[in-house]
Amino acid sequence: MDAFLLGLSNLMVPSVMVAIVIGSIGGLIIGAVPGIGPAIAIAILLPATVFLDDLVSLVLLLGVYGSSMYGGAIPAILINTPGTPVNALTTYDGYALTRRGEAGRALSLAYSASFFGGCFSITMALLALFAFGPYLRDLGALFGQRDILMAAVLGSVLLIAAHKQTMGLAAMLYGFGFLIAMIGRQSSRDIDRFTFGFEYLFSGFNLIVVIVGIFALSQALNLMIGKDAAAPEARVTGGLLSGFKEIAGNKVVTLISACYGTVMGIIPGVGEFVAQFFSYSTARALSKEPARFGHGSPEGLIASETSNNAVPAAAMIPLLALGVPGEALTAMMMVVFFDAGIKPGPDVFENNPDFLFSLFTALLIINVLVLITLLAFTKYIAKMIYIPNRFLGAFIMILAFVGVYSIRNSLPDCVFAMIFGYIGYILRRLDWPLVPIVLGLVLGSIILERLTAGSGQIKTAIDLINRPVSGTLFVVILMVIGFIIWTSITNRRSGYQN
Amino acid sequence: MTKPVLDDLLLFDEALPFDTTGAFKSECPPDKKVKVENLFKFNRGHGDLPVSIVAAVIAIFFFVAFWTQAGWLDRDIPINAGTYFAYQLGLADIDGRVTRFGRILKQSWVVPMLCLLVLVPAALWNLRASFKVNKWRKRFMLPTSAYFELTKYAAALEFVAYFIGYTLLVPWLGYLVSTMIFGSFLTWRLGYRTRTWTLRGVACSFAIVIVFRTFLQIKTPGSIWLYDQLPSAVRAFMLTYF
Repeated sequence: MDAFLLGLSNLMVPSVMVAIVIGSIGGLIIGAVPGIGPAIAIAILLPATVFLDDLVSLVLLLGVYGSSMYGGAIPAILINTPGTPVNALTTYDGYALTRRGEAGRALSLAYSASFFGGCFSITMALLALFAFGPYLRDLGALFGQRDILMAAVLGSVLLIAAHKQTMGLAAMLYGFGFLIAMIGRQSSRDIDRFTFGFEYLFSGFNLIVVIVGIFALSQALNLMIGKDAAAPEARVTGGLLSGFKEIAGNKVVTLISACYGTVMGIIPGVGEFVAQFFSYSTARALSKEPARFGHGSPEGLIASETSNNAVPAAAMIPLLALGVPGEALTAMMMVVFFDAGIKPGPDVFENNPDFLFSLFTALLIINVLVLITLLAFTKYIAKMIYIPNRFLGAFIMILAFVGVYSIRNSLPDCVFAMIFGYIGYILRRLDWPLVPIVLGLVLGSIILERLTAGSGQIKTAIDLINRPVSGTLFVVILMVIGFIIWTSITNRRSGYQN
Repeated sequence: MTKPVLDDLLLFDEALPFDTTGAFKSECPPDKKVKVENLFKFNRGHGDLPVSIVAAVIAIFFFVAFWTQAGWLDRDIPINAGTYFAYQLGLADIDGRVTRFGRILKQSWVVPMLCLLVLVPAALWNLRASFKVNKWRKRFMLPTSAYFELTKYAAALEFVAYFIGYTLLVPWLGYLVSTMIFGSFLTWRLGYRTRTWTLRGVACSFAIVIVFRTFLQIKTPGSIWLYDQLPSAVRAFMLTYF
């Protein structure tokens, strides 16, 4: 309880409160503008966090992360264009409701479902902290370098496994991210890795430079080369409170979807898409009117929005508990931890439990703030849909410059960020996933660091896995690899039969 | 159209900002819908094969460079490596003092080797998949040309050049002037050439400078040619805030 109160008092600082407000409202607007999305916004904001306090930075990014999906539902429902990729499924039933003249009802359902999903997973996380906090502190002693190393390997395997149809592609992009993380001089042995004699490469690539390039500049190029989409006229009719009543009438679907979002969010590499897929499929299976799914079913909309908003809080759990990010946005937050000198992982439970309470309580406040803002200002936020994409692209580019330059006062950083941006642009055009590169970069750094730091305790190869945690994680890794092999063999056999 | 009966709070003024005479109008065809399956669907596009080839070539290039660029030449591994690694797996026994496995693991070539063990096979696997799709397209006489995609890649180079030009311009003209010029130029170049759009471009550029440089004091180049031409008091002011 003391940690909770201390965590709460951490939030009562004006700079933190301002960060919460800016992050949540900014995230809402960014989510509502198709073409930007939270990844780009966080990538642009990352360099600014170097100059801010740790908590202010994290709360700002959490605000963007936690609120963007609320905003993303607006264009998904009104103009059939998801504001963020995870709102894609919302168009399925949300837009159908709009076509029936029930845009207000659809938005209301989306807001209330999102609010429930977000609050559910935050409450679960806070309860877990209250219930298991004292035990988690003791767990800190069980987590050594080798355990974190194995957790990072598990994260990598799960990431590749999650790209079911494109595992080769995901593994390749993960490998490239990992390779980028390795470039530079190994200070302990004075050996250069893949620097090819270029002085700039001796210090390695800055994570933020790569992230801004891959996410922000690539999207800027993508928007500028593309065409401005003619957004259809959107009119919102109806009140925005009816959704809460409907949510109450669909308790089972709402609860199941929130549980899916929470559980899938915890598993590294899985995230919102799989959570939505399971929630939507389950909701359809349980529904009395499955034929309405895709034609304006409130249950479908609830399933989609509840599950995707339950993910952000849950996704913070592997990051904070193991120090392993599960997807791109938490990987970017990991960079803030790196910069702040905080090593997320079991040590945080032991040394900074108040910090954890601060983060989750901030997320709760963000959800409330976003809901109030949406109920009051949806019609103004909806206007953001009409900002032309190409115009946006130009200003993303300008913002990216100041972000990259400010990190190390280096003009070559800006040029390299643009090179990464160009590579990212090509990958975007090919529809290749960008997340494996970023996770390869972050997880690769962790593997590199932990393997070097833990090598002193490794006499034989068995020492890598003879600890309770590392051994268990190793078994899980083997099970995941076994599952991948088994499913690919089964799929191939069924393919032949068909 | 009849006004909907609302049993809860009406938060929207229906007269503004949208037309109230008709129902919701959309240019989106009704069949443009996202399906659940689409979330996981991946189709290899026309530029996939050339890019897969380039990716595989880069992976192989790094594999070749590994022998000289990752500390492999300075490796320190036991002479009888086969027996040593068999011992590590419990398949052999060695008498006397055995080199710690950790001593090998912390050498600079180990992690690059692990990375390349993932990267190279994955790049070749991806290339094979891309070839198969291309072959399938040819078999069914579907278009396989990547020309259109390649023109799009080339078109983006124009904006890459502008960005690098902007980067080079900042140390000469300062962040404020360069950003205003770059913001308005890009707005014009992208086809927003009316007075309103030009003003919007200038206003957005100015707002970015004010927020990031003046308020957040984000670092920009310290030595600016244009500011050096100004009187010292103005120069100091400009360097601090713009």
